[in-house]
Amino acid sequence: MTLSRIRGARLVAVAAVLALGLTACSDGGRQETTDNSGGGGNAPGSSGYTIAMITHETPGDTFWDKIKSGAQQAAKDEGVTLKYSNDPDASKQAVLIQNAVDSKVNGIATTLVTPDALAGSVKAATDAKIPVVGLNAGIDQYQKLGALMYFGSDETVAGTSAGERIAAAGAKHPLCVIHQAGSVSLEARCAGAKSAAPGTENIQVNGADDSSVTSTLQAKLAQDKSIDYIITLGAPIALDALKAKDAAGSSAKVVTFDLNAEIAQQVQDGKVEFSIDQQPYVQGYLAVSSLYLYLKNGNDIGGGKPVLTGPSFVDKTNIDKILPFTKTNTR
Amino acid sequence: MTDTLADHADAGLRRGEPLIEMTGIGKSYGAIRALRGINLRVNAGEVTCVLGDNGAGKSTLIKIMSGLHPHNEGSLKVDGKELTFASPREALDHGIATVYQDLAVVSLMEVWRNFFLGSELTAGRFPLAGMKIKDMKRIADEELRKMGIVVKDINQPIGTLSGGQRQCVAIARAVYFGARVLILDEPTAALGVKQSGVVLKYTAAARDAGLGVVFITHNPHHAYLVGDHFIILKLGGTALDKNRSEVGLDELTTQMAGGDELTELSHELGR
Amino acid sequence: MTHVQTSPPSTAPPSDSANRVTLGLSNRILARPEVGALVAAILIFVFFLVSAPAFRSGESFFTVLYQSSTIGIVAVGVGLLMIGGEFDLSAGVITTTAGLVNSMVCWYFGMNLWVGAILSLVFCLFIGFVNGFLVMKTGIPSFLITLGTFFVLQGANLGVTKLVTGSVSSADISQIDGFASLQKIFSSSFKIGPVTVWITVIWWILFVALAAWILQRTRTGNWIYAVGGNPDSARAVGVPVIRTKIGLFMTVSFLGWFIGMHTLYRFNTLQAGNGVGNEFLYIIAAVVGGTLLTGGYGNAIGVAIGAFIFGMTSLGIVYAGWDPNWFKAFLGVMLLLAVLVNLYVKRMSTARKVG
Repeated sequence: MTLSRIRGARLVAVAAVLALGLTACSDGGRQETTDNSGGGGNAPGSSGYTIAMITHETPGDTFWDKIKSGAQQAAKDEGVTLKYSNDPDASKQAVLIQNAVDSKVNGIATTLVTPDALAGSVKAATDAKIPVVGLNAGIDQYQKLGALMYFGSDETVAGTSAGERIAAAGAKHPLCVIHQAGSVSLEARCAGAKSAAPGTENIQVNGADDSSVTSTLQAKLAQDKSIDYIITLGAPIALDALKAKDAAGSSAKVVTFDLNAEIAQQVQDGKVEFSIDQQPYVQGYLAVSSLYLYLKNGNDIGGGKPVLTGPSFVDKTNIDKILPFTKTNTR
Repeated sequence: MTDTLADHADAGLRRGEPLIEMTGIGKSYGAIRALRGINLRVNAGEVTCVLGDNGAGKSTLIKIMSGLHPHNEGSLKVDGKELTFASPREALDHGIATVYQDLAVVSLMEVWRNFFLGSELTAGRFPLAGMKIKDMKRIADEELRKMGIVVKDINQPIGTLSGGQRQCVAIARAVYFGARVLILDEPTAALGVKQSGVVLKYTAAARDAGLGVVFITHNPHHAYLVGDHFIILKLGGTALDKNRSEVGLDELTTQMAGGDELTELSHELGR
Repeated sequence: MTHVQTSPPSTAPPSDSANRVTLGLSNRILARPEVGALVAAILIFVFFLVSAPAFRSGESFFTVLYQSSTIGIVAVGVGLLMIGGEFDLSAGVITTTAGLVNSMVCWYFGMNLWVGAILSLVFCLFIGFVNGFLVMKTGIPSFLITLGTFFVLQGANLGVTKLVTGSVSSADISQIDGFASLQKIFSSSFKIGPVTVWITVIWWILFVALAAWILQRTRTGNWIYAVGGNPDSARAVGVPVIRTKIGLFMTVSFLGWFIGMHTLYRFNTLQAGNGVGNEFLYIIAAVVGGTLLTGGYGNAIGVAIGAFIFGMTSLGIVYAGWDPNWFKAFLGVMLLLAVLVNLYVKRMSTARKVG
């Protein structure tokens, strides 16, 4: 059985090589683009500053990719050496911050999703006179921890504004899809939505498996025909929700948090009502830039208050302008 | 009665004719010399008993004969031709079948599947070809019956048989598939007296059918019941190599128990 | 516990078949590995029929079947591998690898998707081969080897995707040549009345049937049981243990590829971090279906029922409209119950047999 399979595999490989020659140049693939980021940008490290960014990114999420892209672009623009590291586990993130302190970086930007677990390391940084800024999460605690500035959105506010908007559009029974168990920020979004649209119900799905998300939502829509809105908390989940909606023959409308190129397209096509964007690219960019400005000029962005990068609604009215940027990973 | 076993034995076997001849066989695993200078002949229709304590080199000897590990000293002749086995399959192809103490059968599998394991009857050569299950069950049942083993249900897992029965099925299987040399590794070690008796009868039956039998054991009493030639291994070398006519059970037992060392020990302990 | 009368060789006239006792039909059925799972599946099915009104429709049933098939297809391979005495922890993540290879190769080089699908297949089979080869050549438990592969693939999925697409999800491939035909094969659906039938359900049934045939009726199946039950003894009677086991690892990666293709052609894009965690669902399906963790025992139908129990439980909770926060807890209880019922039935059957 194996032998014949190995032989088969060899045949297939040969066929594949042949086909490779035959079918190069199919439509719909990568567009050959010239590097459009040209022009600006200093040599890395030309300003002499080293800034560490530490996040609780779970590898493989496009959202974090944008934060990273923003941070990298800021580092490039300002000639800063950026050291990015991440760990979804709170205690390990704390160790990463401590690492940055130990390696005597000039500034630290970190997410503060689990303030209590990170407090010690952040204190070590401020004790060592290393400026710290918060981003993405920790809006209520960043000052208490000793961080100078904060760039992000308020999840509850974002959830509430989403809730208000769909409630105004007549939502009676929205379904809020939590794709990661036990996430504080996802729960906060749904709680915010519920505060504005009281009929909101939560559902837990396995965000690591698209087919599972789809069939779970399909089952839910079949079980409860009164669901008229689906709120997804991540862009990929919104795509699954669209599939589930079609499969279940439901007429529920889909709104989502976060944006990617596919969702932007769906917004333009009118399949997704709107997306609540917290502009992760801006979060990353500002976190690095603010540290640069602080180190260089002593600037303080936000004047002691958090700088909100969202919620920014993306819908039919503004999608045409935004769509191109989603393809360059900047929105 | 052994005729039923004899029915399946190779008709070309001539009593006393050498099947395996080992001269000066040795085996080293890295720096450890597990076996050295072993001379052993397996003749058709005779039982060659290999005795030895734990670690004496018995299992290394089996591994060489059954093709699991190749020897690296001396010569191994099968039917007069010198060779080295690369795999158990090769040894099987030369008619050398090994029945291991605990490993004789796959206990969770049905009796008939075990009987045909590795030599299944298939309807074709392609990998997904069905087995001729009806034929296999019928043949397994018939053959076991002919050899005097009656199982309740040929479909029952072989693990539900008694230890002696499992050894017997394994021996019957080897004979059916044309074994000319049968290597039995401690076939009676884990068995009670009655079960041991059954296995010993089968061993004798195989011998009478003209097969060359290598009977590996640490029990001189069992060995003496069936053996024609006795070899005692000690620390990888030969401690005794005699025909039945030259040796008695007492000598075998003493040698196995430690021989001269034992005498020495008894002097030292002095009671 | 002797079931056998031994007639000593000297006195044995071939006994006639009347002498033989055949086990009763019910005993023989109960002794099969999938029966416990079947009983559990029926209990759970009835339970949800009673407690979840939305569960009682053809549509719901086929949604459950779809959910089960996406787990069940790989679980068939994992089940065979476990019967063969090995584990594969890379089975979940390889589904994502398969899709990513196909998607990115075609997107980056502008090639027909068929070429990418075939390259991806070759690549996955290669991974399976490496898994098997390393396990057999080093003697290190497959648990460790495939844990290594799991991490390598997980990291490579993210790293390579980021390198190629500049993001951690693959690009939309729905506009590339060959999409329509591949979608037909891997992720189309059709309607029977009001019921949507996904093609993966058909494939699942086919793969289960094929695996059942191989296990019960072919020489290869005999070898799979033997290498799982007692590899040394199998080797001694001439079964090619190494080839059989490597073949099993390759079967798992083939089925992983298949589900990877389904996910890719259903969702057009893939998140590079997905698929992690599913390897345990496959193992759970196999174990619930009566496969012995230590190898040598089990069958394909049982594994299919195990996957069905998983699909039914995960969706049944949703159909019942229960608080989703309890999802995992419910799932765990259901699975424990399934395993217990399974064990109970198996004990009952053996007890009767002995007595």
